[in-house]
Amino acid sequence: MGVLKSFVELIRGLGIAGKHLGRHAITIQYPEEKWTMPEKSRGIVVLLSDKETGELNCTACQLCMRACPTAAIDIDAPRGEDKKRYLARFEVDHMLCCFCGLCVEACNFCAIEMSTEYEFSTLNKSDLIWDKDKLQEMGRNVDYVDTRKKKEPKTPPEADAATKPAEAKPDVAPASTGDVNPETKAAEAKDATSTDTPSGDTGKEEDK
Amino acid sequence: MGDLRTEEFVVNMGPVHPSTHGVCRLMLTMNGEQIVDAEPVIGYLHRAIEKICENRTYPQCIPMMDRFEYVTAMSTNELFCLATERLAEVEVPERAEYIRVIMLELNRIASHLIFYGTTAMDCGALTPFLWGLRERELIIDLFEETCGQRLTYNYFRIGGVANDLPIDFVPKCRSALDVIEGKMSDYTGILNNNPIWLARLKGIGTAEADHALAWGVTGPVLRACGVAHDLRKDDPYSIYDRFDFEVPIAQEGDCYARYLVRLEEIRQSIKIVRQALDGLPEGETRTKIKANFKPPAGEIYTRIENSRGEMGIYIQSNGDKKPLRVKLRGGSYNQLQFLPEIVRGKGYLIADLVAIFATFDVILPEVDR
Ligand code: SF4
Ligand code: SF4
Repeated sequence: MGVLKSFVELIRGLGIAGKHLGRHAITIQYPEEKWTMPEKSRGIVVLLSDKETGELNCTACQLCMRACPTAAIDIDAPRGEDKKRYLARFEVDHMLCCFCGLCVEACNFCAIEMSTEYEFSTLNKSDLIWDKDKLQEMGRNVDYVDTRKKKEPKTPPEADAATKPAEAKPDVAPASTGDVNPETKAAEAKDATSTDTPSGDTGKEEDK
Repeated sequence: MGDLRTEEFVVNMGPVHPSTHGVCRLMLTMNGEQIVDAEPVIGYLHRAIEKICENRTYPQCIPMMDRFEYVTAMSTNELFCLATERLAEVEVPERAEYIRVIMLELNRIASHLIFYGTTAMDCGALTPFLWGLRERELIIDLFEETCGQRLTYNYFRIGGVANDLPIDFVPKCRSALDVIEGKMSDYTGILNNNPIWLARLKGIGTAEADHALAWGVTGPVLRACGVAHDLRKDDPYSIYDRFDFEVPIAQEGDCYARYLVRLEEIRQSIKIVRQALDGLPEGETRTKIKANFKPPAGEIYTRIENSRGEMGIYIQSNGDKKPLRVKLRGGSYNQLQFLPEIVRGKGYLIADLVAIFATFDVILPEVDR
């Protein structure tokens, strides 16, 4: 009897599996077909450029560098003639990067973003250390919501830096920006600049 | 002809063996085909996560936690954030608590689906593996849309979650739950009465409740021995006390009981997620903490119920922005220690050991840290 019962069970199992016969595959033929990545997908780190001028949004404040848990970001930002920091070097080492997204969260100037791009394997390890130009180039086609205050020409830098995060708020609805609430950012920026980054660019200007 | 001389010999199973779910070496003392003793050799996946955390600020520790137990990375996120919030007395907004519970339970379902698939595969059935991973994909897609990653989420923050749910999350989540619930009959139908499956699991690897408790075994392995110990009920954290669910238990303590308990837990988790989706309030998702976050000096031990048992963290703070000491406890560690106790002297075959190992659902990154 036991054998018969086992046999019936096996047939029943086959029947359940048989229900799936003829369904079309849920897999895709990867290199030919590609998955559309969700908007939020955290791929490679890129730098964003201003939509009008095409210049980098980065103000060399180095907050992202401090937020990075793996020290993948390396910034060299000396002070220029006008005592303002400028971006001499901005490197992201994609071998170290763990794609956590903390740098994007730390930046107050819509300057760094994670694109949905994920194909960047190379034959050479050193090709994974991307410099400013490469990061900018990869960030060109990344769409983003600009939450910064529009820069008016000839605004004194002090006022600009102090009001920038706060005034960004009415421009955009919190829901649509998704991952970052501008209010939080503004508060964090103030905290950060007043305590954590005494030598930072914005901190200096606030102190004046 | 005189008697043939026999002697015991040692077989190394692993470190790289598909059924050890990671990199674990089991030194098996064999008498012919029967296992006399088994000794796990661990440490192949040691990444010094505890030490790394001591050199990172509190927010920077969360991505490190993702790597501690990457099958249920949401739990590890919750573990660290919960401990830090308790230490620094940070309030978590209501909506964030609900989102966290949804994520934790979805992650538990995903983890048990992997268990379902890999256990069946270790016992020689490939179909359940594909099914399990297919439905898990629905959950992983939800995670990816919410936080951007499929495995190392880094989604919880001290004081809430990183960002709000996407607009269409709730309907998508509901339909994913419906699909998974609908497939549950397929899962049980193809395996529960399958004679091969029963022969491989029933009566194999039987554990006694007292014995398991003495070795610090928790989670589904303990519940399969008849002990209804679940931290979500016994020591409620987050908002688990608001939900109506049962703690499934079984009495036999064998591999089959562990399998049944885990499948029932999927159903219970679906129930919890549905309740959380119904009750999801509007509002803030994150309490602001200072960018230069420093919890007060002190120490704390926090534990949560992971899909592999009690997961705990001990944080010692000296008021600095980096923790002074971090110690992690993973359920898998105790389960792996318990393994030799189960197989010693019972005369199991290597194939049985594979089944026992699979139903213990040990995952090695959690053991080695
Ligand atoms: S935080 Fe933003 S603005 Fe500051 S250095 Fe980094 S990318 Fe540039
Ligand atoms: S994603 Fe994380 S690891 Fe990568 S550069 Fe940004 S902060 Fe560093």
